[in-house]
Amino acid sequence: MNWDWNAVVDFLPHFRDGLIVTLQALALGSVVSFALGLVWALLVRTPTRWVSWPVGVFTEFVRNTPLLVQLFFLFYVLPEWGLTFSALTTGVVAIGLHYSTYTMQVYRAGIEAVPAGQWEAATALNLPPRRTWTVVILPQAVRRVVPALGNYVISMLKDTPILMVITVPEMLGEARLYAQETFRFTEPLTVIGVAFIVVSSLASVLLRTLERRLAR
Amino acid sequence: MAPATKTSGRTGSPCDPSRRALLAGASALATAGALGAAGCSRVASASGAEGGDLLDRLRAQGVARLGIAGEIPFGYIDTDGELTGEGPEVARIIFRRLGVERVQPVPTEFGSLIPGLNSQQFDVVSAGMYINPERCGQVIFSEPDHQMLDAFVVRKGNPKGLSDYADVIRAKARFATGSGYAQIAHAVEAGYPESDIVIVPDQVAGMNAVEAGRVDVFAGTSLTTREVVKKSRRTEATEPFAARVDGKPRVDGAGFAFRRTETRLRDAFDAELRKMKESGELLRVLRPFGFTKVEMTDLTMRELCRA
Repeated sequence: MNWDWNAVVDFLPHFRDGLIVTLQALALGSVVSFALGLVWALLVRTPTRWVSWPVGVFTEFVRNTPLLVQLFFLFYVLPEWGLTFSALTTGVVAIGLHYSTYTMQVYRAGIEAVPAGQWEAATALNLPPRRTWTVVILPQAVRRVVPALGNYVISMLKDTPILMVITVPEMLGEARLYAQETFRFTEPLTVIGVAFIVVSSLASVLLRTLERRLAR
Repeated sequence: MAPATKTSGRTGSPCDPSRRALLAGASALATAGALGAAGCSRVASASGAEGGDLLDRLRAQGVARLGIAGEIPFGYIDTDGELTGEGPEVARIIFRRLGVERVQPVPTEFGSLIPGLNSQQFDVVSAGMYINPERCGQVIFSEPDHQMLDAFVVRKGNPKGLSDYADVIRAKARFATGSGYAQIAHAVEAGYPESDIVIVPDQVAGMNAVEAGRVDVFAGTSLTTREVVKKSRRTEATEPFAARVDGKPRVDGAGFAFRRTETRLRDAFDAELRKMKESGELLRVLRPFGFTKVEMTDLTMRELCRA
């Protein structure tokens, strides 16, 4: 295969559009999954079974079905029930929801790793449950699990190309579009491959820094 | 961190023959694979010196593989699981006359047809592919077997009043078309920003996007759009129209695509196609798929490649 730098230059505008969409999907997907995961983790710990069981069943269901199937479901089936979102919104919701069921387990591990003495101290000080969670348990729990959450950011980044199938113009989609117009595959695919390495490395460094700051 | 350095240090040391042997084996395999692949492609292009020997090979095998895009009425698998459509039916007849007994479908996305042909996934593209200069740079075409206009899939009643590309731009309608479709270029030619085009995998996904309200219009060939809206109660197809290219209305002609090296097969195919055209057999074969006299063409491959 011969390499053509002109094709690389030609591809760059497409690449920029794709990169922006990929980063949007990643950032929003991370926010959704981190927030929702925490909500799930707290809800399954509520003492009423009427809350904890349905949440448990739902998250187990989402966690045990493929992301691709969920994407197709949200994109093609929901509109039949009158719920239509844009492709990117659908993608962010799907990735965020799917990964929230993983981060939920991460949070659970973090919460369970808080020493029992902390709970007992909170009880002894007569702290109300809300304050126990917000100032004693969660700060310690979340700090412990940041590295694990970071792994899911990288994993999410590598799942964003799936969004191509629901017409989200992220990097792989743009590369394919360019390839189908010009019949050149080597350059666009190489460029986005390198971009994935760069973005995931940057994300790793960022998360490492965050980890270090939190550990202090 | 520390254990990782340790392991990598051990790999580097010469006192671990089993791992080294494994590595050597793996790299040998990889090299062999690369050589093998290169060898394959060289055989194919070397035989291209005298116009390719694909026809002889197909005769020996008794089967030709046709690339199709699952697009009714051009090339698709029907509800009985049989390969049919305009392209496959014509190809089946011609290949039989050329001494190739059977044809076999290879379904793929429309945008993957030309790359798939060039990477030997199938022998001919028979998907009602428009002959245009960009594609002529990648593959060689038969003479066109039909001509075709574009049309839109819109919501019932055509609320935005879209009848051609200029209307789409005037109404600021959200526009979708299929991957690798010629309609991408038609819309861009009319002034629609390329990065705003929604690219869907096929016409069914396009119709679906219109139904769901994600886009206002999906563009395809007039027969594609007419067929796909039959499955939908909420969309309709617009009247066929000619896209404007370089300021002139363009009627597109579609034909069969072959690899650039296989001119002998293409020429043999063309000779049979010409006979079918002249005897009127072509229209008889195409009529069940919704083709009429209007779609029969006097265009030539040469002018379509140049235009």
